[in-house]
Amino acid sequence: MPSTVQLFATCLGDLVFPDAVVDAASLLREAGFEVEFPAAQVCCGQPAFNSGHRRAARRVARTFVRAFSRDAPIVTPSGSCATMAARFLPELVGCEPYAVWELSAFLDAQGAEPPRLNAGRRLAYHDSCHMLRELEIADPPRRLLGRSGAELVPLPRPDLCCGFGGTFSVRQPEVSSAMADDKLAGAADADALVTADPGCLMHLRGRAERAGSPVRVVHLATALARGVS
Amino acid sequence: MTELAQPRGRFREIARLKLADGHTQAALDLATGRLMNGRLAAWEGLGDVEELRERAHEARMRVIDDLDRHVAEFSAALVARGGKPYVARTAEEARAYVVDVCRRTGATLAAKSKSMVSEEIGLNEALESAGVTPVETDLGEYILQLAGEHPVHIVAPAIEKTAEDVAELLGKVEGREVPADLESLTRAARRQLRETFLQAEVGITGANFGVCETGSVCLVTNEGNARLVSSLPRVHVAVMGMERLVATLADLSVCLRLLARSATGQKLSTYTTLVTGPRRPGESDGPEELHVVILDNGRSELVGGRHKEMLACIRCGARLNVCPVYRKTGGAAYGPVYSGPMGAVLAPLLAGLEQAPALPHASSLCGACTEACPVKIPLHELLLELRADLVERGVASRWERLAMTLWSLAWSRPLGYRVSTSLARLGQPLAGLVGPGRAWGAGRALPPLARRRYRDR
Repeated sequence: MPSTVQLFATCLGDLVFPDAVVDAASLLREAGFEVEFPAAQVCCGQPAFNSGHRRAARRVARTFVRAFSRDAPIVTPSGSCATMAARFLPELVGCEPYAVWELSAFLDAQGAEPPRLNAGRRLAYHDSCHMLRELEIADPPRRLLGRSGAELVPLPRPDLCCGFGGTFSVRQPEVSSAMADDKLAGAADADALVTADPGCLMHLRGRAERAGSPVRVVHLATALARGVS
Repeated sequence: MTELAQPRGRFREIARLKLADGHTQAALDLATGRLMNGRLAAWEGLGDVEELRERAHEARMRVIDDLDRHVAEFSAALVARGGKPYVARTAEEARAYVVDVCRRTGATLAAKSKSMVSEEIGLNEALESAGVTPVETDLGEYILQLAGEHPVHIVAPAIEKTAEDVAELLGKVEGREVPADLESLTRAARRQLRETFLQAEVGITGANFGVCETGSVCLVTNEGNARLVSSLPRVHVAVMGMERLVATLADLSVCLRLLARSATGQKLSTYTTLVTGPRRPGESDGPEELHVVILDNGRSELVGGRHKEMLACIRCGARLNVCPVYRKTGGAAYGPVYSGPMGAVLAPLLAGLEQAPALPHASSLCGACTEACPVKIPLHELLLELRADLVERGVASRWERLAMTLWSLAWSRPLGYRVSTSLARLGQPLAGLVGPGRAWGAGRALPPLARRRYRDR
């Protein structure tokens, strides 16, 4: 009997990048897990929390508490939502911590072997800030991409934020976009820029489209499950 | 009105100007990158840097958690060495004291070495109106003073200036053209500044640290100007933030091991000066009088509070060099005094949130500053706390609070989430016209909401 994981789609995953969530689910199944999607899930409350609106954040974060159980690990294809749910949500709503995993960290810890769909591809991986600095997950996504056959192209400044930053992106849109330009320019030689965070993905892809950058920005789950064409 | 104020909208306005200035962008990239790499290499040479950071954090917090006692100890030790401490509650008191010292000395010229606190209290303007000409002697600050600008980087104040800019500014003082090569520039600056060192009746410095056990003021520079400013003029005034104390010389050495390494990548700066009292009988140099202005200006109110760790800051500037936002905007966007993530925390704390309401949001909360801070100040967490304060105290706009409340009510139930996101999909063509959608759409394509949500598949 396969063990079960609870999939947290996140609001951006559910609304904007459902294909990436489908890919995340299929990677988890491939790795031998039964994927449960708790239907009552909404959002972790991060947009409000990071803007200082704690009451609003608490209201939304409680949906997470009602939707998820502690009987099975929670896996999410988002570094920043994993951070919110694992690190900040318990204190915000006053509950015991949950076992929340970012997708690539979970797959890597389980020794998952992604299909070799990226042989011959040159991929750049963008670290999202929360995932890198709060969860300290830097190697698992790179290892998985490597195992999928990709050659990893280093970014010139992997430490730099892409400029999304939640509401920062609309409070300081010019600075935010300029930060994305630097990130995209650094990935010019790669076949795609891969990120494990839907926020970074939305921002970088939107900027590439508007600024006419040829860089393709792809979610990690998609890069692993379907390969970068 | 305070020197630390930065009205809403100013950050974005200045940021736009800086983004459009290719020279500034290149200078920021180069300077911050070089200083960051210097720090990383220097930290590596330390062996167990984490242990040292912990010790520095502990040494600083030990003083801050018992600040009154340490200020009293420092003051007593200073008096015992013949110096005069003055605790200034406000910027105004501090200015008035320094101006008064200058008056009593009959000074018309004051030589200054770099001091952020003097910027914080608007000292130069006060001196000028009292008929005392202040001359900055840190080369970068001197250049900015000639240009009528404020420092934009705590360690490299004039990083945005080119050699040609500097040649023009120095040439005006010389009354002749100065070639834009390093040797000519240095020669001109040196000639101009030597005059100041020799003629000034009062020397004004900041203070990197005050040492409680000895009453010493520690000054750290690479140009040696603080040593000249504190020893040649007849009177030396050091202005020091109240929190810049360490208990012992041993604690000082822990902080010094981190300061220069974090600031410039040096093991020690070229000059580390400990000023312990004025000239004593039989000594051949040093000032006749030593005054230390210990500035509160809102600091003591932070003791014991949620933001107290900000007081541990040793002003190394490491956070500037890793901050992806500062790297694009430069320092001026944060206001005239303290820049980068530290300024974004400190300015609202000292001046009041109402005075700098946009600064806590002038960050993507990436956490690079926290990672780089040698004394382990959780800067990005403090920014988050300040954002919460903005909301709680009603400084955040009514519109923003209303929007967040409505959003959270809708998303507090799966049904509300479904209904609101279905409506959002219908309203999608209008999203780019107003508010956040418009700000987003100015630089980025709006993300289309999927035809079918994941949950509906």
